Amino acid sequence: MGRINRKNLVLLFLGVLVLALLINLPNTSSIYMVRVLNMTMITYLAVLSLYVVFGMAGQSSFAQCGLMGIGAYITANVSTRWGYPPILGMAASMLGTALFAFIIGFALFRLRRFYFSFSTIALMTILNGIFANWTKGTGGPVGMGNLVQFSVGNFIFNTEAKYYYLILGFSIAASIIIWKLFRSPLGRSFMAVRDNETAASCMGVNILLTKNIAFAISGLLCGLAGSLFAFLSGYISATSFALPQSQLYLVVIMIGGSSSPIGALIGSILINLLPEWLRFLKDYMMLIYGVGIMGLMIVLPEGLVGGGKDLYAKLIKWKRSRADAEQGL
Amino acid sequence: MIIQLIVTGISLGVVYGLIGMGMVLIFRAVGIVNFAQGDFLMLGAFICFAFNQKMGMPIWLSFAITAVLIGLSGIVFQYITYWPLRNAQDKAIIVSTLGASIALREMTKLVWGSTPQTIDPLKGGIVKIAGAFLQWQYVIIIIFAALLMSLVYFLLEKTLLGNIMQATAQDKYAASLMGIPIAVAIALTFFISMLITGAGGVMLAPIFFITNTMGVLAGVKAFAAVVIGGFGSVQGAIIGGLLIGLIEVFAGTYISTTYKDTVVFAVLIISLLVRPQGLFGEKIAEKA
Repeated sequence: MGRINRKNLVLLFLGVLVLALLINLPNTSSIYMVRVLNMTMITYLAVLSLYVVFGMAGQSSFAQCGLMGIGAYITANVSTRWGYPPILGMAASMLGTALFAFIIGFALFRLRRFYFSFSTIALMTILNGIFANWTKGTGGPVGMGNLVQFSVGNFIFNTEAKYYYLILGFSIAASIIIWKLFRSPLGRSFMAVRDNETAASCMGVNILLTKNIAFAISGLLCGLAGSLFAFLSGYISATSFALPQSQLYLVVIMIGGSSSPIGALIGSILINLLPEWLRFLKDYMMLIYGVGIMGLMIVLPEGLVGGGKDLYAKLIKWKRSRADAEQGL
Repeated sequence: MIIQLIVTGISLGVVYGLIGMGMVLIFRAVGIVNFAQGDFLMLGAFICFAFNQKMGMPIWLSFAITAVLIGLSGIVFQYITYWPLRNAQDKAIIVSTLGASIALREMTKLVWGSTPQTIDPLKGGIVKIAGAFLQWQYVIIIIFAALLMSLVYFLLEKTLLGNIMQATAQDKYAASLMGIPIAVAIALTFFISMLITGAGGVMLAPIFFITNTMGVLAGVKAFAAVVIGGFGSVQGAIIGGLLIGLIEVFAGTYISTTYKDTVVFAVLIISLLVRPQGLFGEKIAEKA
């Protein structure tokens, strides 16, 4: 635990305030808005998975949405088709997706830098092809509908608000775990690999295994996100897990800033809520959205968090120079 | 049957090769991967549709106008997405081209709607070659794409303009010391790159329908072509494109229509694992 000083107290106070606000949110919002918030948090989980593999380990993956799809289809098969308890389906999704990512990682991480990115584009397209055509396992082009609701024992999650608390709980838990990871030796080795592979391997970091573990952790998160998506929407099809969606996750993390998990949060909120606020633009919305991404990258190439840090540093410098000037007088 | 398949495969392949060549030109000149390349294929098809169907101009004239306009739009694209970010990190430029790709798709949807459209073929009718009946369009695509490719090759390798562009691609600082206007050379590269991509779109349009998402899969397959051929190699892009086109057509006929794209990308992953630098790529040692 950190020392109790003024800064920590303010942070604690803010944290409690935000938590109270988040818990009260479903009571004050419409059902539609709660659905939007649920989707935002699922996006956040997916983007957080990208943060592990891209922000920490420096490997830009275009396959996150495909991994999410694997998670969703495992949940649908285990819980609905075979009738096991939903919580088992969720666990199977997380472990199965992580395992898939770990195994496929041994092949893909033999490739470096943007060659790896290309291979993930290929992986994404292959997965999408399988989702869309494998009628026995994924329902083929029709998709899978009438999925069971999530339940623990006799408690069934059958309203948007109940799902809100469920997903909120998972999001907070995932954020804490990733934050711990960020500070852990494993997280440090991810970042060492990102910054300089040669130097990292000289320090005794096993590069292939480290990247694989990062990909497996991101697979775990994707599996969770996909599973929650399947329970929440009750219907999944291949169109939900396509390459453009994966590209969007990369855009989200770059807009937020890939240097910290907060960037993932800000990016997901922006990308999901902005379309709601800009609804009056109607047909022009997506156009402005695309142009906005370009504009934001031009103004803030480091993302919102990076840009904010820059601004803060400049402010401090400006204050200091002012103070120096006054002392000089 | 087999001849028809080969001709179809090659004609798809040369178009993938053209888009791939466009990507390679940009990659060599400025070192970034353009994720909006496929959307310029779509834009080219739509501009040609506007002149050919909406204004009723003959197809060849609309093709020529389209080629110039799409090249110019490439220069505009370059000034918006690449130029302000030329000193930023690569991933910022990639995201900016992703944004441009969304914007382009939405813009065409607003202007021309979302119903699939079509344009006149460059030459209609059927031709008989070696006992096989073929559509003229496929033959024309192969001839015209080959012409376009050799023209670009000639321009790059044999002319002063090509030397200027190559010098810029190799070392911008040294090139600027030689008195080469880098901005002009880069703009010219984007012009040529988008021109051949847009031409590919015009040639594909009579075969497939024109929709605002037609560039997505074509763009990804062009990526595959470029990676198989070796990133940064113009010959590699062409050979890779032909391979992808042939694999797609033959897999679609002999393996399964639904899984043909899956087969194409499985081939890509296998080729990356066996030969990561591609067919024509040079193995570059990792710098410390």
